[in-house]
Amino acid sequence: METLPAEDPASVHLQPGDQLKVYSRWDSDSDSAPGSSVMSASATDRESNPPSSAGSNTESGSEWSSSTNDLRRLTSRRRRSQSRMTMVKTLALIHLALVWSREALTLSDLLRLVKEGHIPYVNAYEELPEEMKLFGKDALLFSVLSIPSHNTLHREAQALVQFLQLPAFPPISRQTLLHPALLSLRFLTDANLPDELHRWVCRLMDRAGMADPRGFTINPQSHGILPRYEVQTAALIIVTMKLIFGLDDHTEWELSNQVSSQDDSDDQFNLRRWYRLMQAALIRAQKKADQDVARKQWRTKKPIFLSKGEKNLIMKRKRNAEQVQMCFEKLSSCPAGVQDISPSSFRFCWGDKDGSDGPSLHHMKVDRVLTQKLGTLTPQNSLYWHPALKSCSTLRKCRSHYSEVEATLPRSFVWLLQLFSFILDVKPYYLYEEVLEVERKVFGAKHAMYPKGKKKKRRTETRTGTSSRVVQKSGGKS
Amino acid sequence: MDDLEEHLGLHKHLVDDDGDSSDNSSTLRGKKLRLPLVQPMFVETKKETGFTQSCRMCLEQIREAMLHHRWQEAAEYMACYPQILEDKACYTTKQYKELIWRASTEILHHHPKSTIEDYNIIYERLKHSGFKLYLKVSLEHSFHLMLQGKFEDAKQHLAAAESWRYGKESSAQIQRTKLIQAYRSLLDFIIWSEKKVVLSNNNTVDALSENQSMHNYFRQASVNLKGILSNPGVWDPFILSYVEMLEFYEDYEEALKVLNDYAFDNSFPPNPNAHVYLYKYLQRHGAPQKKLIHVLKNLQLLVPSHELMLEYTSLLLQSEKQKNTQKALGIVLEMLDFACWRNNLDRRLGEHHQ
Repeated sequence: METLPAEDPASVHLQPGDQLKVYSRWDSDSDSAPGSSVMSASATDRESNPPSSAGSNTESGSEWSSSTNDLRRLTSRRRRSQSRMTMVKTLALIHLALVWSREALTLSDLLRLVKEGHIPYVNAYEELPEEMKLFGKDALLFSVLSIPSHNTLHREAQALVQFLQLPAFPPISRQTLLHPALLSLRFLTDANLPDELHRWVCRLMDRAGMADPRGFTINPQSHGILPRYEVQTAALIIVTMKLIFGLDDHTEWELSNQVSSQDDSDDQFNLRRWYRLMQAALIRAQKKADQDVARKQWRTKKPIFLSKGEKNLIMKRKRNAEQVQMCFEKLSSCPAGVQDISPSSFRFCWGDKDGSDGPSLHHMKVDRVLTQKLGTLTPQNSLYWHPALKSCSTLRKCRSHYSEVEATLPRSFVWLLQLFSFILDVKPYYLYEEVLEVERKVFGAKHAMYPKGKKKKRRTETRTGTSSRVVQKSGGKS
Repeated sequence: MDDLEEHLGLHKHLVDDDGDSSDNSSTLRGKKLRLPLVQPMFVETKKETGFTQSCRMCLEQIREAMLHHRWQEAAEYMACYPQILEDKACYTTKQYKELIWRASTEILHHHPKSTIEDYNIIYERLKHSGFKLYLKVSLEHSFHLMLQGKFEDAKQHLAAAESWRYGKESSAQIQRTKLIQAYRSLLDFIIWSEKKVVLSNNNTVDALSENQSMHNYFRQASVNLKGILSNPGVWDPFILSYVEMLEFYEDYEEALKVLNDYAFDNSFPPNPNAHVYLYKYLQRHGAPQKKLIHVLKNLQLLVPSHELMLEYTSLLLQSEKQKNTQKALGIVLEMLDFACWRNNLDRRLGEHHQ
């Protein structure tokens, strides 16, 4: 999808009046900035007017006491931080709105659009019309020096779901674009994997008990957990690849050798060939992404100042910097900043056209890695490895044991994690935890596999990072 | 700036820790390392924002491009870098401004399309970007202009820098101001000598006004130079220019006095060139042999292998005194100690023996 379709206000079940009043002075029909694109219109609909008086904070504080039931759950620190609207919360709200309207834009896509500048975020106040003057300490809310990470934004959105006390979200069924069944198609295409793998991803999803729409629909009354759609989908794809190809640094290459040694190997999916193509494209894309980060311009034409005295100083510095910049722009005949690229859902472009990252492998068949067993197709590879699945009980404090375990994992698996981390723009440990989660669901490891007495011992083993690789037979997985 | 200070503090802490745990920790324990810490600029700090991350990565790219002599690429990234000057925290640290100054000038030196205008812009902007850099950048700017032959502009900038004051004058500032004064006087001299050449070439009616302006320059230069030369230091080019001007105006006593002071003042660092200049001057003005010998004696003490030692020996031989000839032999033998004279002196020795 090339453009972001405008949100249809009619499909949103929120009452603009009561809920939004709690935050700060909102005008639900604030005029959106003139001349901004369709996308930013949906963004500014949700943006607040800058609080014109300091009193708004205390007001929202007093309205707070009215709904104390759910707020007791929140700690006092979060209560204080939640009394102010921030740019991050705005983005979180947009994400919730997108999930509500079941658009196929995931959180990763949203963040990518923000990074590329298609959604005004870094200097969003520049889009505000001239009449709106920004001053005072609250104006500093608009000065943004970082784009939030996936994790941060997800947590904010999660907190928002609880806070807003929304009714149940519209259900995410298998036909919805956000559901892994359809989202995985998109990722398979982006990663240049054959379309036939989709069938296996869906099978895995059923096996893991993740096909139930209730698992993906947010229901604030019952559990109110906001699923991470794209991360779960990517984890599903990785586990599928593990099932079919093994990914233990041996099996996949042997299978690949088998495929290439056959005569009619032209339309068979060959992992080695895929890896070469993908690695080259990945390296190029990573380099370009790094260059874009280096070139990104964060400063704005209209800086915010707290006082008049500061204004002169800031403007003088700005003039200095701009002069130096213009001098070098002229010298290198290359404007500063990142080139404008049109927004796209895909990171890579596969095909035969000019500027593509490589030939497309979508139409390849995966027959060779499958065999007939008991009348059904199963992967040839019958061994499956996974690290210790017992969830760390101190997961609140330690985010992930990935950094400890990474050296012991097979390189193919680590590379695949890095590939999908790049496509989603998350850290590898994040994706790794989700892969573990999927594996837990598949193997039912949540239910006490180990007797109670041994629990403590298991915990310490996990923590010191000795990964016990349990090799199970995955026969009969149909 | 908070980040950087915290960072440096963190680094110092680490260094101390390393010192404690190293093998020869018994000597290092309790002592702070005296080596200057290289300030790490490419290391991620905990509180890094997207903005500081962008700046850091941009700097890395600039460094890579410069090290590999990819000047076009360096210029491109340099165009993206000045946004760091707008950040309050980074602005107050001198490090970034100095970095931009030095990196920009380096890129301009090597980039094929750089013009004098670019240099001017960069120097002007960076001069006014901070107080600590003003004098240094002014000086470098003037040097650059001098190299391009634009003496008037250079002089203008130096004159502006000379009269610039900010806050309490640190000793570094005072020294730099002296340097600026000295070079400004040198520029006066250069312009003066240019005018002299012009004057000698055409004997037209304008001679009088030219003379007048020449004299003005001379006066400006001499006032400053006199002041500068009273400070201990090595002022070779300045001395020469001053003496040349004085000779032109036939103020021989002053010239002699200046040269003598320069050569024999104990507060000045020992400078063999001073004696050379004095000797040459005396030679030009036909001083008696005794005086010449006296000067050269000092020179011999300082630099026994000097070229002028040959003249010294010939002077001594000319005087035809017994002890002088012995001395001459001694000098020649001393010169033989130096490899460069071994071949040439054998002949001399032979001469002397006769």
